[in-house]
Amino acid sequence: MFKNRHFKHLEKLKPKGIQSTIMAAFSVISISIMLILGVVLYMRFSTMSREETVQSTRKLMEQTGENLEDYLVSMRQISDAAYYNVIKENDLSAQDQDIQAKMNLLYEANRDNLQSIAIYNDYGSLLAAEPVAAQKEDPDVTNQDWYKQAVEEMENMHFSTPHIQNLFDDGTHRYYWVISLSRMVELTDNGVSQMGVLLVDMDYSAISRMMNQINTSNNGQYYYLCDSSGEIIYHPRQIQISDGITSEDSEAVAEYKDGVYDRVFGGEQRKVIVNTISYTGWKLVGVIPYDTLSAGTINIRYFIILIILLMAMMLVIINRVVAVRISSPILKLNDSVKEYEAGEKPEIYIGGSSEIRHLGLSIQSSYEQIDTLMKKIVLEQNERRKSEFDALQSQINPHFLYNALESITWMVEGERNDEAVFMISQLAKLFRISLSRGRTVITIKDELQHAQSYMNIQMIRYKNTFSVIFDVDPEVYSYCIVKLVLQPLLENAINYGVEGMDDSGEIRVTGREENGAVILSVSDNGFGMSEEQVRLVLTDSTRIRKHGSGVGLVNVNNRIKILFGKEYGLKVESEPDEGTTVSIRIPAIPYTEENRKIIEEGQVFGKEDSQDKGAQETQR
Amino acid sequence: MRKGKKMFIIIEAVLAVMVILVALAMLWERRGRDLDKISVIVRSSDDTQWAAFKYGLRMAAEDQNVEMFVVSTGAELTVKELQHMIESEIDNGADAVIVQPVPGAESEEMLRKMDRKIPVMLVEYAASGSDSSGLSVAAPDNYAMGKALAEELLEDYAGNVEGKTLGILSEDTDSQAALDREQGFRDVAEAAGATVSWAVTDSFSGESSASIETLPKVDCVAALDDASLTAAGERSSSNALNGALVYGIGHSTEAAYYLDTGIVECLIVPDEFNVGYQSLTECVKCLRDILHRMQDATVSHTVIRREDLFTKENQEILFTMSQ
Repeated sequence: MFKNRHFKHLEKLKPKGIQSTIMAAFSVISISIMLILGVVLYMRFSTMSREETVQSTRKLMEQTGENLEDYLVSMRQISDAAYYNVIKENDLSAQDQDIQAKMNLLYEANRDNLQSIAIYNDYGSLLAAEPVAAQKEDPDVTNQDWYKQAVEEMENMHFSTPHIQNLFDDGTHRYYWVISLSRMVELTDNGVSQMGVLLVDMDYSAISRMMNQINTSNNGQYYYLCDSSGEIIYHPRQIQISDGITSEDSEAVAEYKDGVYDRVFGGEQRKVIVNTISYTGWKLVGVIPYDTLSAGTINIRYFIILIILLMAMMLVIINRVVAVRISSPILKLNDSVKEYEAGEKPEIYIGGSSEIRHLGLSIQSSYEQIDTLMKKIVLEQNERRKSEFDALQSQINPHFLYNALESITWMVEGERNDEAVFMISQLAKLFRISLSRGRTVITIKDELQHAQSYMNIQMIRYKNTFSVIFDVDPEVYSYCIVKLVLQPLLENAINYGVEGMDDSGEIRVTGREENGAVILSVSDNGFGMSEEQVRLVLTDSTRIRKHGSGVGLVNVNNRIKILFGKEYGLKVESEPDEGTTVSIRIPAIPYTEENRKIIEEGQVFGKEDSQDKGAQETQR
Repeated sequence: MRKGKKMFIIIEAVLAVMVILVALAMLWERRGRDLDKISVIVRSSDDTQWAAFKYGLRMAAEDQNVEMFVVSTGAELTVKELQHMIESEIDNGADAVIVQPVPGAESEEMLRKMDRKIPVMLVEYAASGSDSSGLSVAAPDNYAMGKALAEELLEDYAGNVEGKTLGILSEDTDSQAALDREQGFRDVAEAAGATVSWAVTDSFSGESSASIETLPKVDCVAALDDASLTAAGERSSSNALNGALVYGIGHSTEAAYYLDTGIVECLIVPDEFNVGYQSLTECVKCLRDILHRMQDATVSHTVIRREDLFTKENQEILFTMSQ
């Protein structure tokens, strides 16, 4: 039930006109192509844009990484200078003034980035510091991370994570956020060599300033700095992370080598770019959430949608114009055919492309042919009716009947009873075959019988002034023939051939089968005809006959053609003073009831019906 | 044919409308949305005690992508002045305001009126003690802080404070915060047998602050807010408190310094960063979602002793104060 309804709905949607079909097809194809093109373009653009973003981020990070490295190198240089130029060269107790002056020089030269420089001995006691400030009561130096790191790995320099400097009290009530660079040093105090720790505290703000400079975009992209274990050194949302408001996967990222990685963190997909700062092992990490990447392409997306829409608008117009141009001649042709069928306008539209023009011409010519055929059929019908009427008339020719009866009367009066009986019996045979129970098609044998009876009567009437010979192959007896076709021929042979000849007149009736056709000929040795007369015998039906039943050869010819086809009919051959031969050519169709009906119905009645209808249509 | 033409016109019209919509969306995207603007009005806005609060505001503004502006103010603020300030901020295009209220019913009434125009978020304490104000507050649990302070004091005396005399310092007694803190402190300390000899309210600026030194000697002084604590620390460092031990609530580097130098025994630090962060976040939520009702935000506090001042967690508290 549902399916049916669904299909009905689809049927409704199905375009019915050629124009809408063309338009729909064009639109679907063009819009599909455009959509595919749009999607491909968008993907290409967005990939390029992402690559561009990643590349520019990498460049920025490389630059910042270099800046950070420069900064850290300069700090190491300060540490080296303090160690090799100050500590190693001087005795801490003996030359404390020199040491202080040199450290001061170092500090002053780098004070923008430095918080302090300090030297501690292996017990954690302060030996020298710059800038000079009061040490806190008990800073517990040996337990501070930077000190412990320096002692643990004596050969290296150590960068700590950012922390509050817990060493000096400068009276400002402030706390400084520093990164400590500590190393174990060998120092000389009162001539005794001992170990100590050199501490260079870098101002964290120098690093945070560098990082803040690149963390300016507010589109979600950010950069952070962590050490090799993932502990955060700088993060734009440092406090939020430690407060648990947000989080960062720095520990996992710290294990990555330099490069670009795709990561999913906190349900968010993002690109992570890692850049390692040399010597410290710190990782500078750039994070680009995918949302940010796609936000950059949102305008491209709009632009492509806009282009697609504008192109769709144009294509719809173009498609319509094309569809109209293609379909318009077809529609016009269709309309003119419809009008023709409705009988409104007989002109067929001819125009448009060559194919449509050809179609229009074909339709027009076929309509014209139909018209001609129609007229021909009407004409044939009329002729047929006329010939039928003529044939009927010939069956009961009153003149012939009157002559025959008059001859019988004379015979009875002259007591020639045998002759009278013969005459009457011949007349009876003639009429029996004439009637033939209303059949049109009879056997050749019957037709010959009819001809013979006719000739017998005529010969009595003409007192045997001419002779008649029937020379017919008995094989053709059983074939079909239209009735009463020989009689007019014989009548003509008597009237125009042998009448008036003294006993020498001869009429010969022959019959034989030839290549599937039956040829029946009536020949006389009478006066014959000129060529022109021969031509007129079968064409001029308007000729006034001098004698006979009035059933001309034209009529006989027509009847044969109507029933058996155009290729059959009469053939007249004549030579003046030599005689005339009229031949009937018909197909050799064995006489059966079935064949008779086929010939009568197929050719006569079937044709008559359609011809009647055609004639009516034309008249309307 | 006519049907086809109608269809054609409809398709073209629909496409044209879509083109216009996409073009508008493009323009809108290019122009960008105007940032929401949130103004913050707190007393003595330039004071170091607001460092962590302002840092919290700044971080929240960055996270939420809004514009934040702290109005420059003096130490004293009347209801009229506050109203004037809020109105002028509204005129300047503020979409929401974060206000440290002037205590009192009149102020509450005024703020409620303002809340009808734009969202108003209170910080530190409610305008009056009643809960019916309907205005949301982002503040620490003041009573709990008072209590915690007294508990720390008890701990130092191993719970035995019988007969000990206490002095209480606070900036004001009008605000609900001050009242709650004092109440919390008194509830625990007095229950343990200590006696509050005096409770002084002062702004601790200018001449009037000299009066602290003339007060009777006590065993311990509890400073219930940052201004009182720095004043007490200052007096104690010059031995003006006659050796009284100082306990206090504070959120400035000065307060931490006095703890670091041993002048203050114990410091209770309210999470001012989160007062700022959460108040602004709440305002933004309210601006972006019409259905959102502003919620109260209660932030935590941290008890810091001298010895654990430099633990990792506490260093971060110092970090926010140093901004």
